[in-house]
Amino acid sequence: MPIELPRELVELFYAPGTVKVLATVDEGGAPSAQVDPLLTLDHDGNVLYLERFESSRTNRNLVRSIWFKRPVTVTVSGYGGNSYEIRGLAVRAHVSGLIFQTHYTALRRQVGDIDLAAVWIIEPLEFRDESWAARQRNETEKHPAFVHLDRLVRTQ
Amino acid sequence: MPLALKQVFRAQQLSLDDVCAKYPQFPRLIAIKIDVQRRGVHYTEAALSVVDPKRHQVRGSYIFGARDGQLTPVPESLVLRDGTTILTDTAPIEQNPYVVDLVDGELWLTDAGTPVEPVELWAEPAYYDKVTSSGVPMKYVITARPQRLNIFQSGYCHFWANGKGCRYCDIVNHVKEQRKEWGIPTRLRPQDVKETLIEALKEPGRFTNICLTAGSDTRGEKAFDSEVNFYIELLQAVGEVFKTRRFPSQLIATAFNEEQLAKIYIETGLTSYTADIEVLNEDIFNWVCPGKAEWVGYREWKRRLARAVDIFGRGNVGNGLVGGVELAKPHGFKTEDEALQRTLEEAEELATQGVTTVYIVWVPRPGSDFRDQKNASLEYYVRLAQGLHDLRVEYGLGVDFDDYRRCGNHPDSDLARLL
Repeated sequence: MPIELPRELVELFYAPGTVKVLATVDEGGAPSAQVDPLLTLDHDGNVLYLERFESSRTNRNLVRSIWFKRPVTVTVSGYGGNSYEIRGLAVRAHVSGLIFQTHYTALRRQVGDIDLAAVWIIEPLEFRDESWAARQRNETEKHPAFVHLDRLVRTQ
Repeated sequence: MPLALKQVFRAQQLSLDDVCAKYPQFPRLIAIKIDVQRRGVHYTEAALSVVDPKRHQVRGSYIFGARDGQLTPVPESLVLRDGTTILTDTAPIEQNPYVVDLVDGELWLTDAGTPVEPVELWAEPAYYDKVTSSGVPMKYVITARPQRLNIFQSGYCHFWANGKGCRYCDIVNHVKEQRKEWGIPTRLRPQDVKETLIEALKEPGRFTNICLTAGSDTRGEKAFDSEVNFYIELLQAVGEVFKTRRFPSQLIATAFNEEQLAKIYIETGLTSYTADIEVLNEDIFNWVCPGKAEWVGYREWKRRLARAVDIFGRGNVGNGLVGGVELAKPHGFKTEDEALQRTLEEAEELATQGVTTVYIVWVPRPGSDFRDQKNASLEYYVRLAQGLHDLRVEYGLGVDFDDYRRCGNHPDSDLARLL
């Protein structure tokens, strides 16, 4: 079973205007980021990614993830500054069968004449709050030395 | 070879875990696929209890027979969690196959009682319970893989007429058995094919490729004209279903001459052509494939493959090997190292001419001359897959028409998912 994602993060997935980005790495470690509004969660709390292009870098890299346990990240950012990063692994690729065909049909109903290469299931291994406020709080608390001195000068 | 000796021999080979540790750059899931194909599977009663013939595809008509020599309705085959198709069949339990069992309500491949990987069964195509207007069950006209439609135009191979069928092959014996048991048509009618195809394609998102193949037919004014003309007839019937001039398709046939190939290309919507040389060594080819040697010849077969690239284009012409048969006794290569080196050398020569080479894992079938032989080690098949893949990388050769999705029976072209 995947780790449980916090309610705020789950809600962010479905909030209007949320930007969702899937980042993967190639054989040489070069990252590739794909903005995808269709990234969602499945009933088990895994990230579900509908890959439309068989030959895309993301698809190749997800194959690498499932074959060689290369991590991927999913960033979910809302209008209000809320942002989370999920680190995970591709654990399943539906490229045929009932689940694939159900998504194929639904996607085409939603988007029009488009193909579907795979339904990828990404199991979350960990998540981080990446909102501005959380990152600032984290830096201040854990690394108080990481600051330019001019910011600390008395103003009066 | 006696069974006890076989098991000792197997014990001396590297295990799945050993091979995966030795070749960490090779995907474990593909190594599992290969090993399952080498050894076959056995379904426990618990596993069979969850098989629903309305949802799961069970063993149906096929061009080759199974290693258990049976036609009983067990699951057709398996899919791994990365979408990899495993084409395998049931093997008698005494041959040490992988066991498909129910573990916590899920189907798993197990080995010596240890769960190896979860597996899924192939989904039953919606058209399988329909019949054509001439009364033939559609599942006997076109057979399905998870994403491919197979049109086996005829189960007879004329190389067998004078006892020169390929020695690893059981095609004629198997077709006789299927005809007797199920009434499989000897020769397909184009109208039946068209009707079946129309019905099959009503299922959205199911199929991505059409493959035609059959035994060789030597008849005609020029050798194989009869085979060529029948393929054209069927492909034209298939073409009537599509709005595009060409459609994703593969013909796996005899090595035809340029005139015959051009005719097929011009008169049909076919997009790729494969002529399986089966083994890449002239002497072993002459021994293993005497019919092909007699009617075409090894060097001419290779020349025709290269010429096919002029017609179908680079990346659209393939050559298939029965991987491991090059080690058959007594005339095959003596060691796996030699077999690998010599096979890859000749595959490279073809690659330089734009021909891509894939392999299937050889299964010594009960209905074939080689029924008492054994296939190669897992390590050999892993190295062969990697070697053929590396050639495609080196020579920039695609294999889209014969990859994990459009075929699913070649461990080497499964690796193309990374390219």
